[in-house]
Amino acid sequence: MISVSDIKVTFGKGTPLQKQALNGISLTIEEGQFVTVIGSNGAGKSTLLGVLAGDVIATEGQVKIGSADVTRQGTAARAGRVARVFQDPLTGSCGALSIEENLALAARRGERRGLSSALGPQRRAHFRERIAELNLGLENRMRDRMDLLSGGQRQAVSLVMATLAGSEVLLLDEHTAALDPGMAEFIMNLTQKIVSERKLTTLMVTHSMRQALDYGHRTVMLHGGEIVLDVAGDNRRTLQVEDLIAMFRKMRGEMLDDDALLIG
Amino acid sequence: MSLIAFWGAVELGLVYAFVAVGVYLAFRVLDFPDLTVDGSFPLGAAVTAVLIIAGVNPWLAAFVAMLAGAGAGLVTAMLNVRFRILNLLASILTMIALFSVNLRVMGKPNVALINAETMLSPFFGLGLRDFYVRPLFIGVLVVVAVILVWRFLESDAGLSMRATGANARMARAQGVDTNRQIYLGIALSNALVALGGALFAQTNGFADVTSGVGTIVVGLAAVIIGETLFGTRGILMALIGCVLGSILYRIAIQLALSSDVLGLQASDLNFVTALLVTVALVLPRLRRGGTA
Repeated sequence: MISVSDIKVTFGKGTPLQKQALNGISLTIEEGQFVTVIGSNGAGKSTLLGVLAGDVIATEGQVKIGSADVTRQGTAARAGRVARVFQDPLTGSCGALSIEENLALAARRGERRGLSSALGPQRRAHFRERIAELNLGLENRMRDRMDLLSGGQRQAVSLVMATLAGSEVLLLDEHTAALDPGMAEFIMNLTQKIVSERKLTTLMVTHSMRQALDYGHRTVMLHGGEIVLDVAGDNRRTLQVEDLIAMFRKMRGEMLDDDALLIG
Repeated sequence: MSLIAFWGAVELGLVYAFVAVGVYLAFRVLDFPDLTVDGSFPLGAAVTAVLIIAGVNPWLAAFVAMLAGAGAGLVTAMLNVRFRILNLLASILTMIALFSVNLRVMGKPNVALINAETMLSPFFGLGLRDFYVRPLFIGVLVVVAVILVWRFLESDAGLSMRATGANARMARAQGVDTNRQIYLGIALSNALVALGGALFAQTNGFADVTSGVGTIVVGLAAVIIGETLFGTRGILMALIGCVLGSILYRIAIQLALSSDVLGLQASDLNFVTALLVTVALVLPRLRRGGTA
């Protein structure tokens, strides 16, 4: 379960560039719920994800993951609770390490790391098995460096990495945005499979309104650091991409009005 | 080049192999350009020399030298991590400070260890000529150090250190405290370099405050020569490359200086070093045929 209450994030406080990225967001995501998040650029999607992952520490408010208050915890300290796939395939894995070394690193997420060998025969076999499930043929390239893989392959491995160690939430940060349409679909199907098999509490930020409505149980739209839409169930089923676009337009219009007021 | 000169070069190469492995840890594993080594090498020599003269067991003296080196590394890491000073600059600050520290430790610019009991003393007079004993003894220590560092880097803990250098953001997302890895890695690196300094003092019979000048270049030269000749596939190969690179570097220098045709003298050492490192850097690019 994720619960954030009245989160405010201000960047560059007290400077001329001060920006209120999140303006009092409250959101509760139940155990096993898959929530998609959309919003225009600067709406606060990435900041919200950062607040949950620990990259951004909230200026005000409280963040709880499961029963633990993680508001003040940094990324590494809460990594045991949070699994994550980044937008940029290069960020989520280590190009200089081999596929199996990346997996070994992820398998110990949030745990103590000792001096025993990272890649014993048992672990190797387990990793191989998990990678073979992808049907990408990567199980025969376990010792290849990660940077020899394509972006899509890296994201697929990243998804496996996210599920090797236990976690309370899975955060997906536009994780198909850098991929070609075919690969994006493959990764989304894989995501769907993993999330439903493991009943993961998931928050997916996406740029695609289609994805936002097609996947998951609930859709949240952000604008100006606030939640402007939060739909689930029957209301969501009847919602069309066109409706979302109309809302986007309306919101952008408001913004223009504001600017017009300022300039006028 | 005479036999004695050859084995002397191998011996010096093996002593500096500790520096090379230390530099590899900082520069390649952690991606932290650490110049502290120019200070921690003579620090190791100074600490071990002073302790041996005070009657301390030479093995213990070398161990304390390693601790001193680790301490110097921790200072650099703290300047960088805690006070956010650029890594290169942080290490230069420690290096400069260590020059004074080393003078304080020794009380004078150099300390002689003639006739003092060293780690090697028990092995002399066993029938082997001295100029074989020294490289053999240090060679054994190098093998032990390489195996330990190799096993460490392939452990779970070592993997998190490698991830810290390769992709810190990813490492943090996997729960790795990257700051702690920098403390640990730079301390370990400088402990190895200080051990090199301690062995230098014990094999050469003196510690000198100026012996650290250019340590970083020599260490880097060894790492780069190793990478050029042995590639970068796998940690063990890279470490062996560091050791062999260090030995080859010394032999190349010895050859250059002792060749009558070239007419070089000892004072040309730094120029030859710079030239060698440049060649080692440029060669792989020429071989690839690119201009990059």
